[in-house]
Amino acid sequence: MSESNRPDPRDPGEAPSGRAAKIVLLLASAATLAMLVLAMVRENFLSEWRWHQRTYRQMLQASDDPRQRELGDAVAFELRQVDLPQFGTTDRCVSCHLGIDNPAMAGAKQPYAAHPGDYLANHPVGDYGCTICHRGQGAATNFHEAKAVDAHWDYPVLPPGLTQSSCGICHDAGSPLMAEHAPKLALGRRLFEDLGCQSCHRLHGVGGQLGPALDNEGLKTRHTQPMADVVGEPTLANWLVQHFADPQAVVPGSRMPPPHLTARQTEALTVYMLSLQDRDLPQTYVAGDLVTGWDRRLHQRTTDGATLFANYCMRCHGEGTYGSYDKFFERFMPAVRGPGLRAMADETYLRRQILDGRPGTLMPGWNAQTGGLTDAQVDALVNYLKAGDGGPVQTLRPAPTPLAGGDSARGGQLFAQLCSACHGQAGEGGLGPALSNPSFQRAASDELIAATIVNGRADTAMPAFQRPGTAGLTDAEVRDLLAWLRTLALKGK
Amino acid sequence: MNPQQQDIPSVGADLEQETTGVPQPDGREEETLTGGLRRLWPNFRQATFRSGRARTGRGRALKVFANLFLHIHSTRTHLYSLRFWTTAGLGIAAAASFVVAAVTGVLLMIYYTPSTALAYQSIKDIHYTVPTGRFIRNLHRWSAHIMVIAALLHAVRVFFTGAYRRPREFNWLIGLALLAVTLGLSFTGYLLPWDQLAYWAATIGSNIAGSPRELTDALGVTQHFDPGGFLRHLLLGADYVGQPALTRFYLLHVMVLPLALVGLMGIHFWRIRKDGGLARPSDAQLRAEGLLPHPGRANPTATVFEPGPKKTYGLMALVRGRTPPVGKGPENTAPSWPRALRAEMAVAMTVLAICMLLSLLADAPLKEIANPQIPENPAKAPWYFLGVQELVSYSAFMGGLLLPGLVVLGLALIPFLDRKTEPAGRWFVPRPHGRRVFVRSLIVGTLLVVGIEALAIRLGWIRGWGRGTAMEPWLANPPQLLIIFVNPATVLAALYAAWSLWIYRRTRSTRLAAIALFTCILAGFVVLTWIGTVNRGPNWHFYWSPGDWPAH
Repeated sequence: MSESNRPDPRDPGEAPSGRAAKIVLLLASAATLAMLVLAMVRENFLSEWRWHQRTYRQMLQASDDPRQRELGDAVAFELRQVDLPQFGTTDRCVSCHLGIDNPAMAGAKQPYAAHPGDYLANHPVGDYGCTICHRGQGAATNFHEAKAVDAHWDYPVLPPGLTQSSCGICHDAGSPLMAEHAPKLALGRRLFEDLGCQSCHRLHGVGGQLGPALDNEGLKTRHTQPMADVVGEPTLANWLVQHFADPQAVVPGSRMPPPHLTARQTEALTVYMLSLQDRDLPQTYVAGDLVTGWDRRLHQRTTDGATLFANYCMRCHGEGTYGSYDKFFERFMPAVRGPGLRAMADETYLRRQILDGRPGTLMPGWNAQTGGLTDAQVDALVNYLKAGDGGPVQTLRPAPTPLAGGDSARGGQLFAQLCSACHGQAGEGGLGPALSNPSFQRAASDELIAATIVNGRADTAMPAFQRPGTAGLTDAEVRDLLAWLRTLALKGK
Repeated sequence: MNPQQQDIPSVGADLEQETTGVPQPDGREEETLTGGLRRLWPNFRQATFRSGRARTGRGRALKVFANLFLHIHSTRTHLYSLRFWTTAGLGIAAAASFVVAAVTGVLLMIYYTPSTALAYQSIKDIHYTVPTGRFIRNLHRWSAHIMVIAALLHAVRVFFTGAYRRPREFNWLIGLALLAVTLGLSFTGYLLPWDQLAYWAATIGSNIAGSPRELTDALGVTQHFDPGGFLRHLLLGADYVGQPALTRFYLLHVMVLPLALVGLMGIHFWRIRKDGGLARPSDAQLRAEGLLPHPGRANPTATVFEPGPKKTYGLMALVRGRTPPVGKGPENTAPSWPRALRAEMAVAMTVLAICMLLSLLADAPLKEIANPQIPENPAKAPWYFLGVQELVSYSAFMGGLLLPGLVVLGLALIPFLDRKTEPAGRWFVPRPHGRRVFVRSLIVGTLLVVGIEALAIRLGWIRGWGRGTAMEPWLANPPQLLIIFVNPATVLAALYAAWSLWIYRRTRSTRLAAIALFTCILAGFVVLTWIGTVNRGPNWHFYWSPGDWPAH
């Protein structure tokens, strides 16, 4: 019987699974076993952190200091971690950076060196871990994935020059404390205000809407930003730096004017951007100066017209004392503090313009909902505009009275001859402002419009039409024009 | 020495004879404590293993017969069934990879937490802190992939060898159910890591489940009859992929589907025995083709028993048809222990070795944590659904539900339309027409799918047609119903069906028509899967390779 179970390999009919199966089984089992051993060796002997722990232990044991030798003997080979559920972080960096809070390791080679500076005195590793400040993937137990630049992790390790951004998580970037200890962060914040970034970008509920809101800018990721044209590693930090140098190079079609910064300013502004993080900060981590900052932001907002104008208006209007052509935006910017407008416009008109903006143009509304300014701040701005540069206002020739009763058909012909070159065929605007804009139509009184036609606006491109030596419109013609302009309110609705 | 030539005595009596290596204790010693202790190991061994080395044919039979796990085999296995290309070991490979996935899955469950807040971190912990955790997760992932591949290829093998034929129709259906459960297991497992890959693949999957809305919307009846919304809700438990979806997917993945799979697998294996072992041609035919040993010195038992052509040998009251050992001839069989079991173990260990090798070489992917704000681009389903996703990109309902449904229905109908019983168990039966139809269908099916895809990719579908003609405005915005019913998926299906019907008209053979259709679908599946996996980039645009994708 045993004979029949032993296949004859020459027999074509014998199923090959006899001997072949034996060999395959043997080889596969041996390979499986070998790979299991390999996996075990890799896990238990070849991992980076074990190597570093052994080295660290040897470094300490070779020390002259008996205390250090004692510490060295006590080094256990195990993964270490700082678990901070309130931040959602588990930082295993200390598995390799073993000397991080050992003063004797100051200046030692990485990863054994002590943390430079005195930051750990106030921010012990056990309470803060590492990744809150440095970012990176704290859970990882090898360097490549801990740095996480290209390891499917949203927040790669920050370049050392940008670490100050993380101070802004628990501290107020505008506080004296930060000015002293995190100068880049403080400078970045100052630049943010001085450059008038909030003219277009909303932050903490205040700002224009031409650009994206920046409340969570620091926690954006490579996947939220267009990285195609970023040179080097596709990180948010690189994106910000290169974007500040040339916005259109990184975001094709961007309407952001290049801010023209020095390298230091670029770094500082990047640091400030990275510090903008929408986090639920655990109460115990809120620093005193942050509370002061909140208080200032919520309850002590500036009502200094000049500051407000600088922060929110100056980016487009400049000093605002004369109308100018903005080459970047390719349009005239009205002289909002010019002698002409100051002479003609009343406070109600100015306030309406600030509160509502001009829909369809670059000018956003600045009321509490859209722009985030308080009533007191808008008042302060109105007063600031009204005061102008302190110089004399335009002397006005009185507008015809009464203003009602014009013939809009004739007004339309006049408009086509005299006004449409700048204001557009249907008052839709061109070089000059859009007169059909409903916001303008709502806010501007008949008197204001008539006064503007009659006198023009000093220091802007708008000429006078009823003064001696000008087109010399009759009072009736002014009325007709006004009547026609008012028909635009209905059309432009 | 053949089992059926002897009366089978009671199992206990048999085993006692087998355990010759164990010294018989004499009664006096047995009563003492020391005697019991002294004989503890031999007694324990006898109680546990019941038999020593199987040296005789009967002993080998008993090895199988007396073991719960082995007795799913018959005690002897036909030599033809042991040949590698009879099965290519694919069914065993699928089962073995399931065992690997099950064992590693249980290990992963120890650390995994099915909560949207914790799932991702728990996978990270498995990667970084659990001893060999990453290796175990890799094994789980790779064994799942291999299981899908093996199950698909196994179905292909069974089809082309005609092994679904009567009396194995029911087992073919069970096999289809197993394939569906396998895909379901793989897909539900996809969501669990809660990373971007998982989140958006699950979103796509649930959108396909919701795709009947495409039809009901086009008909304007969604408000009254919304099967798509119902299916989607059933799957997700919400309008979006969130905690309820994760809970459901987890439950399906670790309990419902594995239990279903194990149950179905049990039936599947049991049916093999009840249907007379693996499908094979008659001994006479095999011998004529040189696939069985000729009687001779090397094979003295090759023709001990030749069943009479007009006689049945079944235990009529117990088993349908003929019983395996009697009707099929015990000759040309080998004892299942160790031959069949060794072959099976060889396949299983090879699968395990491949899983381990892949696990050492390539890590299972884990992308950024799921973020509903940032869609993956391209968001892709698991690879085996990418062919379907390619069709879905034209019409979710047709490509994602109706046509796959029709394919499954068609597969289920095959053994009921092809009612012949013989010959089965050989590749591309009936020969030689089967192979010819297969090759031609492979060419036709590939050309058709490539042609239609090329058309759709180069010219767009309907919307891009007729530029500059009078039809342009109408074609630019065709009615949704037209898109649903005339799209690359339906056109391809129609052409495949036409090809198959043409083969039927020419040959009058349902089997050949089935081969034509099956081969076409196979070619379509492979080509579409390739296009979906390799050629589709951001916004589902066509690229020759992923290297050409624009940087994000």
